[in-house]
Amino acid sequence: MGSAHSVPAEMRELADRTGFTSEQIEHLHRRFKQLSRDQLTIRNLRPESDGLADEINFEDFLTIMSYFRPIEMNMDEEQLDRFRKEKLKFLFHMYDSDHDGKITLQEYRNVVEELLSGNPHLEKESARSIADGAMMEAASICVGQMGPDQVYEGITFEDFLKMWQGIDIETKMHVRFLNMETIAHCY
Amino acid sequence: MGSRGGSPRPAAPLLVPVLAVLAAGAAEARATSESQLPGAAAMGTGTPPSPTGTAFEETRLHVFTLDYPHVQIPFEITLWILLASLAKIGFHLYHKLPSIVPESCLLILVGLLLGGIIFGAEEKSPPVMNSDVFFLYLLPPIVLDAGYFMPTRLFFENFGTIFWYAVVGTLWNAIGIGISLYGICQISAFGLTDITLLQNLLFGSLISAVDPVAVLAVFENIHVNEQLYILVFGESLLNDAITVVLYNLFKSFCQMRTIKVIDIFAGIANFFIVGIGGVLIGILLGFVAAFTTRFTHKIRVIEPLFVFLYSYLSYITAEMFHLSGIMAITACAMTMNKYVEENVSQKSYTTIKYFMKMLSSVSETLIFIFMGVSTVGKNHEWNWAFVSFTLLFCLIWRALGVFVLTQIINVFRTIPLTFKDQFIIAYGGLRGAICFSLVFLLPPAVFPRKKLFITAVIVVIFFTVFIQGITIRPLVEFLDVKRSNKKQPAVSEEIYNRFFDHVKTGIEDVCGHWGHNFWRDKFKKFDNKYLRRLLIRENQPKSSIVSLYKKLEIKHAIEMAESGMISKVPSSVSLSDYHEGKIKPLSPTEMENMREILTKNLYQIRHRTMSYNRHSLAADANEKQAKEILIRRRHSLRESLRKTNSLSRERPAAANTKRFLSLPKNTKLPEKLRVRNKTSSRVGDSSDSEMDASTTVLNLRPRAGKILRDQRLRQQRPPPEFRVEWKNEVDGSQDRRGEQQELSTLPQPSIGFRQPLLTRPRFGTLSREDLTADHGLARPVPPPRLVRQASQGERQRNKPENQPY
Repeated sequence: MGSAHSVPAEMRELADRTGFTSEQIEHLHRRFKQLSRDQLTIRNLRPESDGLADEINFEDFLTIMSYFRPIEMNMDEEQLDRFRKEKLKFLFHMYDSDHDGKITLQEYRNVVEELLSGNPHLEKESARSIADGAMMEAASICVGQMGPDQVYEGITFEDFLKMWQGIDIETKMHVRFLNMETIAHCY
Repeated sequence: MGSRGGSPRPAAPLLVPVLAVLAAGAAEARATSESQLPGAAAMGTGTPPSPTGTAFEETRLHVFTLDYPHVQIPFEITLWILLASLAKIGFHLYHKLPSIVPESCLLILVGLLLGGIIFGAEEKSPPVMNSDVFFLYLLPPIVLDAGYFMPTRLFFENFGTIFWYAVVGTLWNAIGIGISLYGICQISAFGLTDITLLQNLLFGSLISAVDPVAVLAVFENIHVNEQLYILVFGESLLNDAITVVLYNLFKSFCQMRTIKVIDIFAGIANFFIVGIGGVLIGILLGFVAAFTTRFTHKIRVIEPLFVFLYSYLSYITAEMFHLSGIMAITACAMTMNKYVEENVSQKSYTTIKYFMKMLSSVSETLIFIFMGVSTVGKNHEWNWAFVSFTLLFCLIWRALGVFVLTQIINVFRTIPLTFKDQFIIAYGGLRGAICFSLVFLLPPAVFPRKKLFITAVIVVIFFTVFIQGITIRPLVEFLDVKRSNKKQPAVSEEIYNRFFDHVKTGIEDVCGHWGHNFWRDKFKKFDNKYLRRLLIRENQPKSSIVSLYKKLEIKHAIEMAESGMISKVPSSVSLSDYHEGKIKPLSPTEMENMREILTKNLYQIRHRTMSYNRHSLAADANEKQAKEILIRRRHSLRESLRKTNSLSRERPAAANTKRFLSLPKNTKLPEKLRVRNKTSSRVGDSSDSEMDASTTVLNLRPRAGKILRDQRLRQQRPPPEFRVEWKNEVDGSQDRRGEQQELSTLPQPSIGFRQPLLTRPRFGTLSREDLTADHGLARPVPPPRLVRQASQGERQRNKPENQPY
């Protein structure tokens, strides 16, 4: 425990920004150190990482983890909404690899192909048609509001929000950071 | 008279209508006060008139005989089931009724009525509701049905909570009710002092059991959100273990003279054995069933039988050892569900599903009717204090229990249960036939006040089923409890869910946190590695996305085949909606035409694919081509019909693509637009419709194409070859169409779209080589889709057609 980030002021600032409590931050820091092997950053080990960062430091780590905080009972409507939007934005960025604000067909296809890549029996083409189909569905939800001459460029964040409307993202997208005892200290 | 072996059969009065019909056959009716067996009377005709047995040794030949005792049991069973089903039909005739009053109430009323009739005729209650009949025959189908179709994922996610409510909650209720009732009994004014503590505890344990049958019957109509439903329903299933244990425990305690501490510990150990043993038996037999179905591909017809036999076997095996049969059959059903589904054919699967539903429906109906029938009778003893306090304590302890337990469990849950949830859970604790049967099973020697118990149980059951059952629906609406939303399964949603699972698992891994996902992941790996290899016949790693996609495809193919070419139902989600955005207003009739054409010609997903891929292909709709394509389309449709009939679920997706890529999207369009009545058989009219082809060819499809097209443009990946070819086609057809302005302005198709075209050559299997030969194009001829945008006017006309979609 204890490292460069144990300075109270910094910690408090982090806590404010991400919403974690100090124990959680300390614990996550411990975990961070395990993963980074006591370096200051975790390196990206994937060979081709277009659109992905090369290394992240603890702040980034914490920021990402904060997206997975569970909702608290005392949150009001507006906070809940903001929370939900943040989580969805995170997911959106995972799809949108070039960060242009839209999920294009190709990006979508990449996602689907990767998802289905574990299945040796599936041809690329089927994955592709599935992606196309899903894209169509997505477009169908959003197209209703577009003018006749508008072109559908890709799934924007608003469309994305719409699609996730029925799903309770706040309740699904959480990890129990809070139960410190249950976190396994492996390695 | 005549001493026909005649102990009055219990259900004899049911034969009253039968009697009327068979009056002619009865020569000598029994002259007793009760209407008696005509069978006996008939036999009287057969034998010599003298009842004492003296007289003739010879009998004449009987022209007509009536032999009721021979068929009595099956006859009565059939009549009962028939009656139950007729009652059900009767309820649904008035369509508003089932939504106000749950069926269970109505069935109990019918039962009461019947019981009244029987009682009136015979002066004693008909012992139809034999506890054995209930536990061995009527209860298993219901539990099997529930367990087989239980959403396992949700169940396991909430398993801790369910288990907590089931075990601790039932214990709390049982002991609470028992002790408070004992306290009441101590008050001598009520005349109950002879009921001992143990008897009260036993009574408490049997009345605190939440009943799965009643819960199912009431909850199925109100559609609360799945989480709530699974909590209440799961609890009702799992509490069987506790109920069995407590019931047997207290019953033996009542009969034992002294109780030692060791007995208490034995009781606790018994609980674990009962629960875990039941589950193990269920899982074991589930695996055996899955393994058996691995080899049944040659004898498909008896596949459903295995499912039912093994699950019933698990139930009665558990009952044999006095373990929890309900948990056994639930575990068996859940295990089987995963693997059997992949081994059996589509038809067997459908059979299993419907047969299970039918059995459980019949069982449920019979249970409620019998409950009504058995209520009427002489085995009641009314005591205001006992009955009312029982009811009161049931409600109070349930509410308290749920409240207290929820406070505790909320600490461990990530999604805490709100007050609304708690209220519904408490309110949904309905008692039903299980307590009813259990109370009948009490040995009267040990329980001199058995009738009192029966009365109290009946009152509680009637209260929960009637009052709570009827009022829960308005309450749910009043409290604005979250309802379940049944939406069409969509591939995109499945993709998101899958993706999300991976993300979450990854994050949990990063955190080093062993959450639900971690264990689920581990189980999945184990499953894939060992279990699936062993239990599934042709094991292909299955992705839920692909299977959903295939399922949707198959579904639409079947729909399309079934409806022939006359479907009016737009393939739901995408296509129809999809096109909405880009069109200008069109006259309603045209819209109607377009819609009709569209729906007749499109599959949902497959066409989506095609749209992306062929958007830019010029529509070279010369007549011959249109004709060819029409023929080809019908041919491929016929093939698809044939193939869907012998549906094999393991067809690779690619094969599907191959078959259907040949379907030009709007082959039929030209004709359809022209004359609404033209059916697909009018091949020869393509000449007429050619003009229409150009107009109709909507930019319907191309819409999708356009979208993607532009997208492609943005990505700046021009596919040169393709572009060229397209241009050729366009040029070639220019003189025919005379509308080339827009053509040249169209952005080029992207390379991505070429892929499916490569499969075109497979069309050879459809023996359409002449098509390619005709046009002499290097690439297969695209269908007359118009990518080419029609003239402005047409565009005006065409585009908005989709608006109504």
